[in-house]
Amino acid sequence: MAFALTYGTSRTLVRMRLAAFRHALEDQFRRSWIVTGGFVGLALAGGTLWVAARGDHDTLVVVLGLWMLGWVVGPLFAGGGDETLKPEYFTMIPLPPRTLSTGLLVAALAGVAPAISLIALLSLVVASGGVVAGLVAVPALVLQLLCFVLASRLAVAVYGVLLQVRAGAVIAALVNAFILAFAAQGWALIVAFVSTDVQGAFATAARIAPSGWGLVAVESAGRGEWLQAVGLLLGLAVLALAMLVAWSALLVRRTTVSLTGRKPRRVLAARSPEGAAAAKELRSWTRDLLYGHRAVFAIAYGLFFCLMPLAIGVKSMLPWAGPAAVVMAGSMAANLYGADGTAFWTTLMTPGSSRPDVRARQRAFLLVFGPSTLLITLVLTWWSGVTSAWPLVLSVLPALLGGAAGLVVACSVYAAVPTTDAHKRSGNPLNSGENEGETMGIVYVMLVLVATTCAPALVVALYTGWWGVPVGVASGVLAWWYFGRVAARRLDVRGPELLTLLRHGRSPAEQAKKTAGLDALPRWRRTLAGFCLGFGAIPLFPQALVPAIFKLTGNDDTKSWFLALYQDGLWQWVVIAVMAALGLSMYGFGGLTYYRARKRAPGVSVVAAAE
Amino acid sequence: MEQALELVGLTKVFGEQRAVDGVSLTVPAGSFFGVLGPNGAGKTTSLSMAVGLLRPDGGTARIFGVDVWREPTRAKALVGVLPDGLGMPERLTGREVLTYLGLLRGLPEDEVKTRAGELLEVLELDHEDDKQVIGYSTGMRKKLGLAVALLHAPRLLVLDEPFEAVDPVSAATIRTILHRFVAGGGSVVMSSHVMALVEQLCDRVAVVADGKVVAAGTVAEVQAGGSLEDAFVSLVGASTRGAEGLTWLSH
Repeated sequence: MAFALTYGTSRTLVRMRLAAFRHALEDQFRRSWIVTGGFVGLALAGGTLWVAARGDHDTLVVVLGLWMLGWVVGPLFAGGGDETLKPEYFTMIPLPPRTLSTGLLVAALAGVAPAISLIALLSLVVASGGVVAGLVAVPALVLQLLCFVLASRLAVAVYGVLLQVRAGAVIAALVNAFILAFAAQGWALIVAFVSTDVQGAFATAARIAPSGWGLVAVESAGRGEWLQAVGLLLGLAVLALAMLVAWSALLVRRTTVSLTGRKPRRVLAARSPEGAAAAKELRSWTRDLLYGHRAVFAIAYGLFFCLMPLAIGVKSMLPWAGPAAVVMAGSMAANLYGADGTAFWTTLMTPGSSRPDVRARQRAFLLVFGPSTLLITLVLTWWSGVTSAWPLVLSVLPALLGGAAGLVVACSVYAAVPTTDAHKRSGNPLNSGENEGETMGIVYVMLVLVATTCAPALVVALYTGWWGVPVGVASGVLAWWYFGRVAARRLDVRGPELLTLLRHGRSPAEQAKKTAGLDALPRWRRTLAGFCLGFGAIPLFPQALVPAIFKLTGNDDTKSWFLALYQDGLWQWVVIAVMAALGLSMYGFGGLTYYRARKRAPGVSVVAAAE
Repeated sequence: MEQALELVGLTKVFGEQRAVDGVSLTVPAGSFFGVLGPNGAGKTTSLSMAVGLLRPDGGTARIFGVDVWREPTRAKALVGVLPDGLGMPERLTGREVLTYLGLLRGLPEDEVKTRAGELLEVLELDHEDDKQVIGYSTGMRKKLGLAVALLHAPRLLVLDEPFEAVDPVSAATIRTILHRFVAGGGSVVMSSHVMALVEQLCDRVAVVADGKVVAAGTVAEVQAGGSLEDAFVSLVGASTRGAEGLTWLSH
């Protein structure tokens, strides 16, 4: 009976989910996100299969660990993971909690991401190498996939609980920052330890982690150690069951505990329109736990990112913790208007409030991240003892702060991503709409854009030393002022359109307008432009900027995958210049193609006439 | 006679659908004007375009002669708006919302403090003073929205469903406030589904159906002898249902 009910529920929920998916595919804008994500995922899955085919199990187990990491940490960036079916929809249906959560789990499996992970997990079959081990690989990969999806759901539920209290929000931010910084700095550790057995250590750790159990079971079966193989499979099954039970419990909590604001501690004084707007914005940072969570995350990420190499005695990264934190902060705060939702009407209906509102958001951003990153930069640069870094970081930091303060408001106005209004949100504080892909894309784009704002200051500082500081301050002030002005003007002129977007999301007609110019282009040109925008960062940052910084800080003994550092003398600079030029022209070509296409779009001229 | 609000051929197209199709209305100054219509008739869309919240695809709106889409800043100073279903600054308390929006409108600090205090008291929001808006009920949100609309003492109020989800006591308070506002020379435009309320409060009404104005005039003119409800049902061309089918509901 219970089984029949669970089966029936799961079947219906899968049908609901697939119906929603079909509608998403009808929507051109969302379809393009799904297809792009699908291709990236397929490429990654293909890479995993390739690793398995080479028989390199040590690498494979680490790669599988990264897949699981992606499932656990991904939702933090992608707006709480896929929640096409929110548990809140079903609270009034008389179903036992575990039936509902099992149904939701089954429905969660009916998606693009699980399908791609399944392909990646076929690597277990590839790695098995024999018929008998292959037979073990089939249940292993199914259980492994269940564990991936459940770990993701459980992580979201745990974030949900943590983000309801201030301390929890801080802890979640620190843990995430640590995990991500570790993932990013892994290469440094591997490179530095290449003589010792760090790769082996990674592999051992990845075998102990649940993400490796499936592979270890397959390996054991291959060696004929049946007890261990069966034990590990059972272990996976027990783990999945435990996560399912925990998740059900948290779902019950989520749908029965109400989320209201706590009592405000103090009232800030405000006397003018500017002061009022600033006070309003600062309260968001201090009262909304998601804002605080992001702020702590950005700063902690910068710190961890640059402190980790200390483990191997590398102090040269230390001065860059502040700038790294600013870049991360800028990309996390790029949807300020979207996050406020339709409350924007209060600004729109108040004459002359656009400028104070935009400036207040900039001021709040600078208040939160300015003093903190400056302090971090001063202390860590002093500690590092790298005296040559002083002019560099002190040039770059003001440029980045101003650049980020400018770009966050410009991006928030020009590329707002509609979110569900705060009072209508579900019990998942990370989930604020159905635009995960878009949110994620903007985070990436903003990482690149914010980082670029320090380029002039960095170049001047590299050649002339301290002259970089005034250049950095000037470029920061200029970016703050200019982008702020652009954003405020846009709000004045196109405020109603922003409100419509935040209220109704992007209607199919508008998307058609938006992409009409692009659709008129030949397919190869569209693909090439997309490719250039997607991958322009590779020549520009890791192949040009990073080796340049390494060379200038005298840290060029780590070659890693930096092509330039494998050359001799002047040729290093030639390669760096070529790579920088390549990256910039890729961005130039892609950006220009999109820009021209948008100008040509028939819908845009109508809107322009209405201005 | 001076017109408080004029809608001139307002049109809005969403995809294939003409949500609002050439709506023209005039609201004389000093009148209490009701906009009636079934769900999805285009009331909210029309009112949004009338006050500057949604850009029309055609036509325009004038508030006391000031074109909302040519001189939005001047027009918005004259009107107080209560939109339906829009958010509020969630992380502020009611008093803070009023204080900051008042300051943003350039009111002096003391004045804002007095007005915010009085509005919160009259609308019975003052005992929840330490509550952030995110914890407000739907009715409290409506009342706070009304306070925001009244705060700068506008000459025209445009209220979208002001009585929805409001308890009877608060509704009586709001009715009194609105009557005083009109008696003091103000004008009110209000949308509603509740016929009795419109009949009781308004002196003029317009009926909107399928994005078009199907009738407009004084209440007596539109009623044409019968009740407003009968007139409404016959105007929107609907027949009331519910008597047939649904046999499985009986126990």
